[in-house]
Amino acid sequence: MDELTIVVPVKAAVPNITAVRLDPNTHNLVREGVPLMINPYDRNAVELALRIKDRFGGKVITISMAPPNGKDFLESTIGMGVDEGILITDRVFAGADTLATSHAIAKSIAKLYPNFSLIIMGEETTDSTTAHMPAQVASWLEIPFVYYATDAEPNIKDGTVKITRYLEDEGLLEEFIYNMPIIMSVYRNSNPPRDISLNRKIMAKVNGLVKVLTNKELGLNPDCVGLKGSPTIVAKIEDAKPLPRKKQIFQGDPKEGAKWLLENLVKEGVIR
Amino acid sequence: MSIKFDAIIVGAGPAGLTAAQRLASKGLKVLVVERGRKPGSKNVYGGRIYAHVLDKLYPEYVKEAPVERWVRKERISFLTEDSGTTIEFETNNVEHKSFTASLSDFTEWLGKKAEAAGAVIISESPVDSLVVKEGTVVGIRSGNDEVYGDVVISAEGINRLVLERSGLAPKLEPQMVGVGVKEVIKLGRKVINDRFNVDDDEGVAWAIAGFSTHYVPGGAFIYTNKDEITLGLVIYLGHGSKVDVPVYDMVEEFRLHPFINRLIKDGQLLEYSGHLTPIMGLNASPPSLYGNGYLVVGDAAGFLLHGGIIIRGVDFAIESGRVAADAIIKIHEEGGKYDGSSLSLYGNMLEESFVMKELRAFRNAHRALDEPRLYNDYAKFINAFLKRYFDVDGTPRKIFSTFKETKGNLTILDMMRDMTKVVTNL
Repeated sequence: MDELTIVVPVKAAVPNITAVRLDPNTHNLVREGVPLMINPYDRNAVELALRIKDRFGGKVITISMAPPNGKDFLESTIGMGVDEGILITDRVFAGADTLATSHAIAKSIAKLYPNFSLIIMGEETTDSTTAHMPAQVASWLEIPFVYYATDAEPNIKDGTVKITRYLEDEGLLEEFIYNMPIIMSVYRNSNPPRDISLNRKIMAKVNGLVKVLTNKELGLNPDCVGLKGSPTIVAKIEDAKPLPRKKQIFQGDPKEGAKWLLENLVKEGVIR
Repeated sequence: MSIKFDAIIVGAGPAGLTAAQRLASKGLKVLVVERGRKPGSKNVYGGRIYAHVLDKLYPEYVKEAPVERWVRKERISFLTEDSGTTIEFETNNVEHKSFTASLSDFTEWLGKKAEAAGAVIISESPVDSLVVKEGTVVGIRSGNDEVYGDVVISAEGINRLVLERSGLAPKLEPQMVGVGVKEVIKLGRKVINDRFNVDDDEGVAWAIAGFSTHYVPGGAFIYTNKDEITLGLVIYLGHGSKVDVPVYDMVEEFRLHPFINRLIKDGQLLEYSGHLTPIMGLNASPPSLYGNGYLVVGDAAGFLLHGGIIIRGVDFAIESGRVAADAIIKIHEEGGKYDGSSLSLYGNMLEESFVMKELRAFRNAHRALDEPRLYNDYAKFINAFLKRYFDVDGTPRKIFSTFKETKGNLTILDMMRDMTKVVTNL
């Protein structure tokens, strides 16, 4: 291995999860007409990739499967310091669940960057929160996967990488040494993303640093991508009914009010 | 690493994008920097675009642009808590003069035109200030980055922070602006056609004064899109101290007024927005519309014609963008020296265009429109008068005696004075 190649898959997420609509028939998220943005946790993944590049050199690539307007947020990752972006977009990729998406991402990386050293991903997405993708990409590529990573120090000479991960519940920092290539997902509260440079965004656009590829160029198995490659069926979706409120209002002396509130909260079992 | 541009435009609204499209189509290297997520995402207006300027500059708009409905009915209402008086104008014999549209969608379309012509549009990048070297604007600053251009166009809208931070415009005074709030309510095409008595592509533009702004100077508006209506109001900030509730509550109260509520029954609120709007026309312009290395277009230049009932911003924005581009193209062809004296060409060309001709004609409109009686006493009087006049109960109702009974605090002298103000300034 003479140079690090770090690939960061990123997702075009729905920005406002409180305003999403669901298709009543397919139970899928309605994405048409919804502006897209980069999944916030993916920016931490980009940041870790860039920190590794800052210290150890190499090249950082972001890749995303998204509608054509996904180009903009890949350009914004170049604004952070990424070297190039790959947008894979094709009708045959539409309607993909996490399995079909991970297949498309993994196989595209294997095809475009067969000598990749690290794949770095966000902990999960804010709009579907499955956290499936890193593990699935790892299994398609048959490489190890470390989650909750906070740092990584690759050793280009011997092809190993020391990965630090943080286990929140235990409050533990763990260190592993693995052979590259390896995939990791980044602990969401680590590696706060850097600012986006206007000059780099201009460069991304003017020099066409985001490549748009369809399945014509990628040649992925159409049975494994998009709706066809998606075994997930959303069987049922239920609206969570809002709890009926008692709407009790206390009027009068604030001190009495505080007492009244406390008594009622205890009575309702809210506090003990 | 950085690229030098022939022209940098701050703000991807109608003015900036028109300039960008025109400059890029002449082969100039153009950069547009927009703070919103995409062109148009920060634009807010009432709801209507006057088409005359598009016929000249973008004749293809009729087929391509996201036009909602062509305005066929103009309504003006004076509203009180329990009464309303409306004048409605309608004619069969209209060419396409103005249309309703979502300004965000329309501006996005202008953005595509500019990009197709070769302009580079960068979104989600706020410009902090202009880069000034030896008294000349040479570029823009965003975060730690500087980008250089031969000339910079400020098309940043009414809240012109870049010009302010660069010392090229003073802070806005409250009396220069109104604060607008707006809701978009989905009703469906057929419901709109039925409730507003229009055909599929016909629209209504409606201005409402009085109760809608709690009788404070300003006004409410309703426009019909294809499937939604837009509803909102503008309060003149110079009178902001008289406002007794927050503007967002005021727009709710207006929406819940019985006459309005029945028009939007079962509607679904899709979006709400708020924005400043210039209301004093040229009196809100920065001290100079051009200088060494820069010029100012659109709302940032105060190019909004506020004639009370007719309010025009988008056509002035587009035309000023066009004029700015044409001036720059001419200077570019003559060697590209953009000092204040060569850019005075922009000033001269503006004077020749309808922008300055019309804005100058309405220069003192605010003198009439700022009169609180228009929104309070007159709105109440006209309704009280008609209510009394139509209230047949066996006592005689002659016009003059009804007038005397219902005119409230208004004196005939006031009325004559106000009438003169309106007639001479509007």
